This record gives sequence, C-alpha cells and structure tokens, in this order.
Amino acid sequence: MGLVCRLLEERGIATTYVATGRDLTALVKPPRALFVNHPMGNNFGRPGDVKMQADILRTALGLVHSVEEGGALVDYPSDWGEPFEFRPGGNRVEAVSAG
Amino acid sequence: MLPGERMKEPIRYVDALNDYYGAMGNPPYKWTVNETAPLHRLDKPLSECRVSLLTSGGVSQCAMPAFNPDARNDHRLDSISRDAAVDDFQIHDSYYDHTDAEADINCVFPLARLRELAASGEIGSLAEHFWSGFMGRIYNRSKVLEESGPAFAERLEDERVDILVAAPS
Repeated sequence: MGLVCRLLEERGIATTYVATGRDLTALVKPPRALFVNHPMGNNFGRPGDVKMQADILRTALGLVHSVEEGGALVDYPSDWGEPFEFRPGGNRVEAVSAG
Repeated sequence: MLPGERMKEPIRYVDALNDYYGAMGNPPYKWTVNETAPLHRLDKPLSECRVSLLTSGGVSQCAMPAFNPDARNDHRLDSISRDAAVDDFQIHDSYYDHTDAEADINCVFPLARLRELAASGEIGSLAEHFWSGFMGRIYNRSKVLEESGPAFAERLEDERVDILVAAPS
C-alpha cells in the first residue's frame, strides 16, 4: 500500500498513511506516514473511542500541509496501555501477560 | 501519554515476518527499500480539499463476497459508497486481529469520522467512494506499479480526489 501512495503522489494526489508497523513503513517510505504504536488493526484506536479516532485522523490529515520532505515518518503520541504482540499467520493476536 | 513518558518499543515486524516465513522454508523475502519518497504539495487548505479513504484490511460490504483471508497477490479493489452504513461490513484477513474492527469499523476504516470532518467543514468534501483493497502479501509488485496502482489513480482522478488517507493492516 505504501507503493500505491508513492505512485499516487507522483500523479498529483496527496496521501497520508496511518501505520501500526514502524519498521515496515520506514522501509517502503510512503510520502507521509503517521506511526501509531497500537496493535495491527487498531490504527485509529479502540472501538467506540470517537475522540481518539478523530484525533488520529485529524493528525494524519495535518501532515498533508506540515510535511516538507517526502518520506516523513511522524510518531503519534499514544500508549496502548497494555502489552501486545504480533503473530504472523494467526488471526488472533493475544496480549502477552505482563511482567 | 504523559509528557516525557517513553513510547513503548515498536514491534519489529520485519524480523518477525522473516523468522515466520523463513521457518516455513521460504527464501528470504526481498523487502522494498526506498531511500527517498515523492511529495506533492497542495496549494489549498484542508477546508477546500476532497478526501477519500483506503483500507487494506480485508474489509468488504456484507453484500459483496468476502476477501480471501489468506490471499497472495490479490489485486481486488472494492469501491464503497461514502454513505455506507458503519455496520454493513465484514472482515476476512488472517494477517491481523480484527476483533475490534469488527466491533467498530472505524478502528481501521474511519468513514464515520471522515464524514464528521466533512460535515463540520474541516475538510472540503468527501469523494463519492472510499476503497478497500491492496491487501498485503502482494509479491508481483510490478503489477501494482503498472496496472492496479495506475487504475486506482484514474478512479481517484475521476472523482477529483485531493487527499487519500491510507490505512494498512
């Protein structure tokens, strides 16, 4: 999807990318990216958290005018509040036990 | 998050995926590595921009077929009306935990939030359609660059989209 954003940008459509994988995003380098340190599938936060969903969306849209060089990767200041992990190939990503 | 509080270390997906697919006997995956990126500057404010939305999270409307949750090289791209009901979606993707997104589609595809920004005038307007496609695990990247990507660009140009919000999962 980062490749698609790069292609659109070259054709004159501005893109802003809201990612939960910081290292993956840094490799493909979409024109503007907001890294949200949440589990994959919670790019915009938790169910029903309208305030956070709107804030992440608004922050991503703000990058359209604030970013001055392609490939910007901005960290959204959010803490998921509990540990999480990624299990490729499984459709359940269960929280690891704390400690 | 409190000021000065350190953000938790991000998950290292590249290492996790290399280990996972390597253990299955696959050759090392050739990650796309770009050193620079294009940037198109807009000369008008957000309040005059037309915005669309793209998810790669295996999201489809209930009347449509499900996405293949284990897809490889699936270039399917669904157009979704900007007025679609938030409870009219299904998610099929074995790559991530979509429990929360099933409870509230705005977790991955914030169409209700984008509609609110249009209603309040923060953004100029909504494109006629939002989009779901370009699921992960596309190995034939040249097809994205030469076929499915440009075809998508034409659809956005037809709807005079200024900004695309893209959320991978």
